[in-house]
Amino acid sequence: MPLFAHVLRLQLRSVSLWGLALGLLNLITVASFPAVEDQSQVFNDLVESFPPEVRNLFGISEGTDLTTIEGFLAAQTFNFIAPLALAFFPILASASALAGAEERGAMDVLLGNPLPRWQLVVGNFLATAVSLLGILAILGLFTWAPAKLMDIDLSLGRTAEAVLNMWPLCVSLGSLAMLCSAVFHRRVLAVAIPGAVLVAMYFVNALGNTVEGLEDARPFTVFYHYGSAIENGVDWPSFVGVTLAALLLLLLAALAFNRRDIYT
Amino acid sequence: MDAVIRTEGLTKTYGRRSRGVEDVNLEVNEGEVFGFLGPNGAGKTTTIRTLLNFLHPTGGRAEVFGMDSRRESVAIRERVGNLPGEFSLEDRMTGERLLRFFARLRGVEDLSYAHELAGRLGADLRRPMRRLSRGNKQKIGLILAMFHRPPLLILDEPTGGLDPLVQEEFLEIIAETKAEGRTIFFSSHVLSEVERVSDRVGIIRDGRLVTVETTDALVNKSFRHVSLTFAEPVDAGPFAALPGVEELKSDGANITFTLHDNLDEVVKLAAKGRLVGMDYERPSLEEIFLAYYVHEGEVEER
Repeated sequence: MPLFAHVLRLQLRSVSLWGLALGLLNLITVASFPAVEDQSQVFNDLVESFPPEVRNLFGISEGTDLTTIEGFLAAQTFNFIAPLALAFFPILASASALAGAEERGAMDVLLGNPLPRWQLVVGNFLATAVSLLGILAILGLFTWAPAKLMDIDLSLGRTAEAVLNMWPLCVSLGSLAMLCSAVFHRRVLAVAIPGAVLVAMYFVNALGNTVEGLEDARPFTVFYHYGSAIENGVDWPSFVGVTLAALLLLLLAALAFNRRDIYT
Repeated sequence: MDAVIRTEGLTKTYGRRSRGVEDVNLEVNEGEVFGFLGPNGAGKTTTIRTLLNFLHPTGGRAEVFGMDSRRESVAIRERVGNLPGEFSLEDRMTGERLLRFFARLRGVEDLSYAHELAGRLGADLRRPMRRLSRGNKQKIGLILAMFHRPPLLILDEPTGGLDPLVQEEFLEIIAETKAEGRTIFFSSHVLSEVERVSDRVGIIRDGRLVTVETTDALVNKSFRHVSLTFAEPVDAGPFAALPGVEELKSDGANITFTLHDNLDEVVKLAAKGRLVGMDYERPSLEEIFLAYYVHEGEVEER
């Protein structure tokens, strides 16, 4: 518990910065919606003219209606840039927690205390998962409040579902980074590997609809289970499934970290 | 006296190219100050990290307070204060916040001793780590290692970066810690401080423990610096020919050399001339330490 509170406190500034950065992106997106709404038919025609591969790459799934605020937000942020960007918050935090601390020389000061190694893994993970909720809360506020102020019909519940839906996706990438951080001694690997996996999963899922051979791989990507909560609400079985996968990776991280040498 | 630290054949290798430590057999008794000597890369830090389970031994075993270093590491660390050789602390945190965090991890509520240590060492607990010099960070590291009054202190190069006055205060604190019956195991390559406070000394070379002696015994049984001054110039040849005489230098009436275990013959030979001055000095621990390195190296080369 002291470690959890300690990490949470250290992450407070990052939470504000990430929340504000992504929040501003959504604020601008919402603010630009009325202008887009006036040209809605032109936009829908333009999107229809794109090949399906391109539409999928930009997070515009079949049935996404850009003339609604939900569809517009899905295409502009929630199904594309927001999860891809936000996943790097837990990736960076987890990479820094073990491999980064080892590189900085901060590990043996901390582990000189009577702290089991698994607590270091779990404490950092839990603090990052809670910090992530903080970022999502700021993001949700910066999405819903401007819509409310501009009389755009966006429900608070649906906004909450949209931001919450990013949590298991980001947490699972954070768990993968924690596993890499536990296995390798270098922070760069603990960032690069999950980062590459994240991008690869995005492409496999986006192109899997149209590229033969990728279809079977889609269920193994986190984006396949992500859906579009801003349009359709949270798919709770997928939410729970991805969270469980994250916990499995966390368990592996704790086991790996327990077995390996610190400093070699 | 019970052994607080005991290693049996402790070995840690890092693959084929890097040695670590090999077959280290060591006992550190309760209440003693044990100086662990060796140059950088000799294996001091590897030994310490293995004792604290940061590194897992590839052979042999280590016990601290009779507990296995691997299986009972958390229980061991409850009773140990550790200062790593090279460390960093959270840049944005002040010493006070770090101290309170460590106190919560250890369930310690009374920080009066920590503040007393901070006062004695001149540590500023209010400034963030990024604004502290290496020496001032070292002070914070020492406080974090000692504030909970552990029965065993494991300190890796504790005086690194400290100015001479603070080093003096630190050695005073070590003496008080010993007087309380607590045990101190510390590595250093500053031999003068080891000589001052250690009851026993272990010398590690290329990963192997080459000797463990009481500090006095180590100094007493080693060579001596001898300087003879005669009333008139003398022939240095007979002195150079005596067994145990090394590094002889002659300047007419003055002869200096190092002597290993042959004082009687030297005195008898010197008495044949008109001796007007004689110095007979024991070497510093530093010279003994270097001699261990030079002689061991020569043996290996042969």
